[in-house]
Amino acid sequence: MSDLRGMFVDTSICTGCKACQVACKQWNEMAPGVPLPMEDEAAVREHRAFTGNSYDNTSHLSATNWRHVKFIEQIGPDPSTTDRSDPRWLMMSDSCKHCVQAGCLEVCPTGALYRTQFGSVDIHQDVCIGCRYCVGACPFGVIAFNNRTGRVNKCILCQDRLEIGMGTACAKACPTSSLNFGAVDDLKAMANDRVKALHARGQTDAYIYGWDLGNTGKITAGPNKGAAVQDVEVVGGLNVFYLLLDKPEVYGLPSHAALPQRNFVPSAGVALISAAVLGVAGLAAFRRDRMASNQGEEVTRAN
Amino acid sequence: MPTRYVLPPEWEWPITIALFIAGIASGAYAAMGLIHFAGDKNDQPVAYRLGFIPLPLMLVTPLLLIIDLGSPDRFLNLLIKSPAAAERGGPLMFNSNSPMNWGSWAMVIFGLFAAIAFADALHHTGRMRFGWLEPISHNVVVLVIGELLALVVSGYSGVLLNVTNQGVWSDTWLMGALFICFSELSGMAAALIVSDRMGAARTSAALRTALFYSAAVSAVVLVLFLGSMAAQQDGSLAALIGSLHEFVGPVFWIGAVGLALILPLLALSPRPMVRVPNGSLALVGLLVLVGVLAFRYAVFFSAISFVQS
Repeated sequence: MSDLRGMFVDTSICTGCKACQVACKQWNEMAPGVPLPMEDEAAVREHRAFTGNSYDNTSHLSATNWRHVKFIEQIGPDPSTTDRSDPRWLMMSDSCKHCVQAGCLEVCPTGALYRTQFGSVDIHQDVCIGCRYCVGACPFGVIAFNNRTGRVNKCILCQDRLEIGMGTACAKACPTSSLNFGAVDDLKAMANDRVKALHARGQTDAYIYGWDLGNTGKITAGPNKGAAVQDVEVVGGLNVFYLLLDKPEVYGLPSHAALPQRNFVPSAGVALISAAVLGVAGLAAFRRDRMASNQGEEVTRAN
Repeated sequence: MPTRYVLPPEWEWPITIALFIAGIASGAYAAMGLIHFAGDKNDQPVAYRLGFIPLPLMLVTPLLLIIDLGSPDRFLNLLIKSPAAAERGGPLMFNSNSPMNWGSWAMVIFGLFAAIAFADALHHTGRMRFGWLEPISHNVVVLVIGELLALVVSGYSGVLLNVTNQGVWSDTWLMGALFICFSELSGMAAALIVSDRMGAARTSAALRTALFYSAAVSAVVLVLFLGSMAAQQDGSLAALIGSLHEFVGPVFWIGAVGLALILPLLALSPRPMVRVPNGSLALVGLLVLVGVLAFRYAVFFSAISFVQS
């Protein structure tokens, strides 16, 4: 069996209880966040204490929220109308995906971000310099700058627990088995079985985000009803991957997540070409000017 | 394809100014090299004076980066591997996949070449005797290596922005080219200011043509850049040219386009639409520098504007 460890997140049975969020905060000793009055608009904007438009008041992953349960409220088939028939809530417990090809790790200039023996991506906090390059490189908006420490934070797949043979705290706390921790190969088999079981029951919108296991389907409810979906593999695969019931964008996940390094060689190549053109232009400017002034001097001498 | 789910890295004023200053330093070194290679002995006094520019600016740049990072030892972690990062071998830190590492090392090594140019400038202006340095400072190989390092310092930050998943920054492959163009513009502008203030009319005439050519090349690259962003159809173009968030759009048009490109194209053309007499060229150079700063600002803050849109 492979040493790679990961998580399979089955969103079809997530109830949005947020036990995973609490367990994550508790194990990693992170502040719970201070509830702020909604009248304090600046504080609400800064801390997102109360979004005021959802039961989801964490709103997004951050340096102190390494796990976040997304509430996606689809009220009626068309959000632009007042038709409130056939509503549904989609829930998803989100975190770092521990990408097989991790953009954050690739660009880190100090070696603070590293691949663990379990295949997850961890951070040496004492090596991180807070340059924030990884923040802009992560295609999922996971890794975040911590203003208090001046360094970055994200889910580290409970590295300390894994080293002593335990699973992740969030999966341990999940009451519905929406979060499943284990060997990535085993989880992929489990996910594939689950998609097939859901399809057999008529829920044909289930598919896998993170690995392409060959599943295809059709969305059965909500604004995208009838649209085709299929397994999505991004950045070489995700060690933390998802079973979704709607398009990735509905869950705030990119359909085409890409490594930032895709631009490195082309960008450097084009930069070199422009430098060569500028160099030639500079030499041409001096040559043109000198020829013009020499002609002027010859005319003066001739007169 | 870039996505809209990326968080902004919150690089703000210290980084913007650091890269602006590093751009002037590398551009001034490039202009100095150009005068050494293409000029004659009458141009050399301007080249020597230009040698005073890169070193002080390359000393200020790390200070601004340290202000952003919050601690001097953090900057050292870019160069010297921390013992805690045991996964990486060797005593020095270099991740070839990270443009930030390329830039950090280029800035440090370029600093040595800037110091040689500074010492040479002290020698030739009679302030201190560094005659023993001449075989090195005037060596063609040394100058070429210095120019190549100046090129990396000019362009690495643009490539760095390309190598992210941010809207605007990662939407084209032209960001590195654009940063080199605007660094070259700032270097030529600095050279024009120096030569104009020295009253070196012949060198000023050549430099005004060089600045005109640089502005023409930069304008072409900028048009290609905007065209490639428009092709993305994801709102990144609007975040740069039309956003009022932090005045990004107006700063881009007035500063980056108006002052840095259109002004030199109109005023320094061989058949200028606006006559600029010798003695006032320094003012044009100064305004071009303001325009280059505006370009840095608009590009940096456009990504934040993109996220908020």
